[in-house]
Amino acid sequence: MIRTTLAGLRAHRLRLLLTALAITLGAGFIAGTFVLTDSLQAGVTRQVAASADRVDVAVLPRAGHGKPGEAELAAIRRTAGVAEAHGLVRGPAALVGKDGKVAGDTPTTGVSVVTGRLGRTAMTTGRAPAADGEIALDENTARTRGFAAGDTATVLDSADRPHTFQVVGLFDVGVDQELAYTGAVGFTPDAARRMTGEKGFAEIDVAAAGVPPERLKAAVTAALGGAGHRVLTGDELAAELARVNGGNLEFLTLALLMFGLVAMLVATLVIYNTFNILIAQRTREMALLRCLGATRRQVFGSVLLESLVVGVLSSLAGLAAGYGLGAGALRAGTAFGLQSAPVDATLTPRTIAVALAVGVLVTVAAALLPARAATRVAPIAALRTQSEEREFRAGAARLVIAGLFLLAGAGVTVAGTRMPPGEQALFVVMGGGVLIFCGVLVLGPVLVRPLSAVAGWAPARLFGVPGRLAVDNSRRHPKRSATTTIALTIGVTLMTTLSVITATTRATYTAQLDEQFPIDYLVSGQFGRADAGGALPREIAATLRARPELASVTQVRGAEARIGDAKGRVVTYHGPYTVDLIQGGMRDFTAGGALIGSNTADSLKLKPGDTLTVTTAKAGVQRLKVAGVYESGKALVSGVVVPEGAFETYFGRLDDDRVLVGARDGVTAGDSRKAVEAAVAAYPTAKVVSTTEVRGEFDQALDTALAVVTGLLGLAILISLIGIANTLSLSVHERTRESALLRALGLTRRQLKRMLSVEALVLGLIGAIVGVVLGTAYGWAASRTIATDVLFRLPVGQVALFVVLSGLAGVLAAVLPARRAARASVVGALAAD
Amino acid sequence: MTVTGEASGPRTGPATVAVAAQGVTKVYGTGDAAVHALRGVDVGFHTGAFTAIMGPSGSGKSTLMHCLAGLDTVTSGQVRIGDTEITGLSDNELTLLRRDRVGFVFQSFNLLPTLTAEQNIRLPLEIAGRQADQELLDRVIRTVGLRDRLGHRPAELSGGQQQRVAVARALATKPQVIFADEPTGNLDSRSGAEVLAFLRTSVRELGQTIVMVTHDPVAASYADRVVFLRDGLLVTEVLRPTAQTVLDTLMKLEA
Repeated sequence: MIRTTLAGLRAHRLRLLLTALAITLGAGFIAGTFVLTDSLQAGVTRQVAASADRVDVAVLPRAGHGKPGEAELAAIRRTAGVAEAHGLVRGPAALVGKDGKVAGDTPTTGVSVVTGRLGRTAMTTGRAPAADGEIALDENTARTRGFAAGDTATVLDSADRPHTFQVVGLFDVGVDQELAYTGAVGFTPDAARRMTGEKGFAEIDVAAAGVPPERLKAAVTAALGGAGHRVLTGDELAAELARVNGGNLEFLTLALLMFGLVAMLVATLVIYNTFNILIAQRTREMALLRCLGATRRQVFGSVLLESLVVGVLSSLAGLAAGYGLGAGALRAGTAFGLQSAPVDATLTPRTIAVALAVGVLVTVAAALLPARAATRVAPIAALRTQSEEREFRAGAARLVIAGLFLLAGAGVTVAGTRMPPGEQALFVVMGGGVLIFCGVLVLGPVLVRPLSAVAGWAPARLFGVPGRLAVDNSRRHPKRSATTTIALTIGVTLMTTLSVITATTRATYTAQLDEQFPIDYLVSGQFGRADAGGALPREIAATLRARPELASVTQVRGAEARIGDAKGRVVTYHGPYTVDLIQGGMRDFTAGGALIGSNTADSLKLKPGDTLTVTTAKAGVQRLKVAGVYESGKALVSGVVVPEGAFETYFGRLDDDRVLVGARDGVTAGDSRKAVEAAVAAYPTAKVVSTTEVRGEFDQALDTALAVVTGLLGLAILISLIGIANTLSLSVHERTRESALLRALGLTRRQLKRMLSVEALVLGLIGAIVGVVLGTAYGWAASRTIATDVLFRLPVGQVALFVVLSGLAGVLAAVLPARRAARASVVGALAAD
Repeated sequence: MTVTGEASGPRTGPATVAVAAQGVTKVYGTGDAAVHALRGVDVGFHTGAFTAIMGPSGSGKSTLMHCLAGLDTVTSGQVRIGDTEITGLSDNELTLLRRDRVGFVFQSFNLLPTLTAEQNIRLPLEIAGRQADQELLDRVIRTVGLRDRLGHRPAELSGGQQQRVAVARALATKPQVIFADEPTGNLDSRSGAEVLAFLRTSVRELGQTIVMVTHDPVAASYADRVVFLRDGLLVTEVLRPTAQTVLDTLMKLEA
C-alpha cells in the first residue's frame, strides 16, 4: 500500500507542487521569523555580555527609591576588595542642532563616559572625552544631526544655558533603548554632572581586586547598609539587560507570528481544497484499490501518508526558505543601519521543530477530511465510465450551523462596539469577527451561486460565450469554489479592515486637529522638561505679537495641582481664544470661576454652578465655581481652566507651555513661517511646528504602518492566489475532455484561455467582494473600539483597488493553467478516458 | 482499390464532393516507434450522403475521421472540405472552419454538463456569434423529439436523449458535413436505433452530409455507403449496405 501511495505521489508530482509551495511559504515565514528574532536576540546577548563583562558588581537604584550618590560611591571605594568604582551619570542635556534649535522632540541624554578598566562605552570613531570641553556623540545622533568628530557643538545645561564643546569621538549606544531613542551626549564624569544637574548616579560600576564577584557583591551590599539599592554581579547585570532589551524582540516575534498564522490558515484551506479535488478526481483509482481488496483504513492511511510526505518535504523547503529569509532580513538590517553590528543568522532547534511541526501538522490536518471522503468511495465506482456531476444542495444542517455562527458573531460584535472603547472591546469585536468568519466558511458553498451571479454579471456580458461558460464553471463545484475564494477572502478582509481603520483614524485625527488647532503654528518646548512651569519665556509671545505678518498669538500655560482628591492640571490662556462650551457660559468665568472638561465633569459629577476644590502649593485650598463645561479632547486646552489673574494667584508668574500663532490673512505660508522662526531664533528650546507639518508626519506614520502590514498580509494573499491557480489547474485537468469538446465545436485557443481567465476573475472577485464587505464591517466595528466619536471613513478608492487587484491577481493565477489547457491536442484529449 | 469522387453516388442530382482526402498519410512517433496509422488514403464523400467508415480495430478509421475534420494534422497528402484545402491551415483557421462548416457527434462526453439541452444545442451558434435560424432550429428540435426536455441538464437525460441533443447541436449550424465518431457506441440498441434513424432522416430531409465512424454493422447499415479501412489503407466499399453485407465484407477483411 505504501508503495502504491508513493507511486501515486510521483505520478501527481506536478499537481501537488503548488500545494507544497503554499506550505513552503507559510512554514518559511514562520521559520524566518524565528531565525530573525533568535539572531537579533543572540546579537543583543552578545553585546550585553561584552559590555557587562567588564563589571564585577553593579549597584542600581531600586524603582521608587533615590539614586545612589557621592556618599555611596565613597563608601564602595573604601570597601575591601574594590579595585575601582565609578558612578554613571545620566540626565537630560539637550544638544543644539546646526539649525540653532534643540535636536529632536525630547532632549538628548547626557551620560558620563568612563575610561579604563570599567569603560563600557564603545567608541567607534575618535576617542572618549578627556577634558571638560570635550564631548562624544552617539553615532546615530551624529549622523542625523550632521556632526562629525572635530566639530564644535552646543549643549544646553539643566537651566537651558548653552555651553560649547568640541566633539572628539562617536560611540555606539549598544542595546540601550532609552539612549537609542533620545540620542546621547557623552561627557567626562565631572562635565556630565554639571550639565545634567544630576546629584545621584544611574548606576555604580565596581571592579574587583582579585575577589570573586559573589564575595564582592556581599561586601558592597554590607557597605551600602540599608539604603535599599540593588547590588548585582556582572553576570546578573548582563542577564537583566538582555531581558529588558529582549522584550521588544518578543513583541516583534509575536507580531510576525500573527501574520505567519494567517498565512498558515490560508495555506490550510488551499491544502484541504487540493486534496479534496485530487480525491474526487481519483475516485476510480480509489474504487479500483477497494475492488482489489484495500480496506477503508488502508485507503485512509494512503491519503494521509501522501499528505505526510508532502508536508515533510515542503516544510523542509520552508525551513530552508525561512533561513534564507531571516538571513536576508538581517543583512538588509545591517545595510540600512538598523542594527549596529552584523549578526549571523542562527538556526535553533526550536526553529526547526516549530517550522516542521507546523508545516506537517497543518498539511496532515487539512488532509483528514478529504481522506475520510476517500474511504466513502464504493468499489462499484470503479466500473462507472463517467464520474457524474453531483448537484450541491444546501442542507438544513449547514444553514442552521451557519446561521448560529453568524448570529452569535453579530451579537458578540455589536456587544463589543457598545462597550467602552479599549483593548477589551477590541478583543470582543475580534472574537465576533472569528465567529462571523466561521459562519461564512460554513455558508460559503451556498453563497457562491448568488455571488458568482454578481461577480460574473459584467464578465458574462463582456466576454460572450467564453464569459458565460466561465461563470457557469465558477459555480459548478460550490464547495470547491467557496474554499478557494475564502482563502483570498481572509487576506482581503484583513487588508480592508486595516485600510478602513487607517482612513477613519486619519479623518478623526484631522478633524480633531482642525478643531484643536484653528491655528497655523504651534511654538512649544521639548517634551519632558516642562515640569516646573513653562519652557517658553514670555518674551517669545511678545516678540511674536510685534510681527505684522501674524494675526493672533495665544499663550497657554499650566501647572500641576490637586483637583478634588486627585492630581490634575490647571491651565490658563492669554490671547484671542474662546473655549467652546457644551454647558454653561463664559459669564461666570471670572476669578473664582473655572471651566472644566466633560471627562472631569463626568468623573466628579459636576455641572455648571457646582463647586470644585483645587489645592495648590502657593494658595492652598480654593473653592471654584464651575462656569462651563467643554468637550474633553476637542478644545485647545485641557484640564481645569481658570482666568489668567486667578492662575497667577495660585501658581505665580509662570512661563508659557505653548504659544499658538495664527497668520494674518493674505500672508504667504513662507513669509509667516519666516516671521515665527525669526521671533523664536534666540530661544534654542522653542520649537516651531506648523499644523500642516504635524498632519504630514501623522499621515506619513499611518501610511508607513499600513504599508508594512499590507506587505506582511501580502504573503497570505500570495498563498491564496496559489490556491486559485491550483484549483484551476486541477479543474482544467478534470475538464480536459470538455475543453476538447469545446475546441472541436469551434472555440479558439484564445477563447478557451479567456474562458479560464474569466473563471479565475470571477473567483477572485467573489473572494474580494466577501472580503470587502466583512472588512468594511469590521473596520467600522474596530474603529468603534478605539474611540466612541470616530468619524467613520470608507476609503472607497482603496477598497475598489483591492477588488480590482484581486480580480487581476486571479487572472494572473490562471495564466499557466490556461496555457496548459489551450496547448492540449483536441484529439488526444477526446481520446483520453 | 481506390474510390474517387467520380464514383457514382447513391442519390441522383449534383454529385458534389463535401469532403475529400488525397494521398493522406499519418505517422505517429519517429524511428522504431513510428506507427503508420494512415498509409495514403484517397476518398471522397458526397454532399447529402450518409457514409460510414468501417474497419477492424487499429485500421485507422478514427484517425482518418480526425484528419478529415481538421482535428488532427496529416503527415502528408491533402484534405479538402468543400473548396477549402485544410492541410496547412493554422490552428485558428482550423478552429474557425470547424466552427462554421463542420459538426461533431462523439461517442461519449458530447454535452457540457453545466448547460441545459437547449443551451447545448445553441452553443456552436453562440461561439460563432451567429444568429440562429429559428425555423431550422424548431424543425431540428421537433425532429429530435426533445421539445419537452429542452430545459434539462445532461445529467437529467438518458444516454439516447443526450446523443440526440448532440445530433441536434451538430445540425443546428447547418454544417457542410457532420462527423460522427461511434455515435451509438455507448447506447443500448433501442436508443442506438433511434439516433441512427434520426441521422438518416436528417440526410433525407435536411440534405445533410454525414460521415460516421463505427464498428457496428447494424449502425453501418443505416448509411448510403460504407467504406472499409484496413491497416491504414482504404480497401473496399459497399453501396446501399445491409447489416449482412457489411458483416460479410468485414469477415472477409479480418480473414
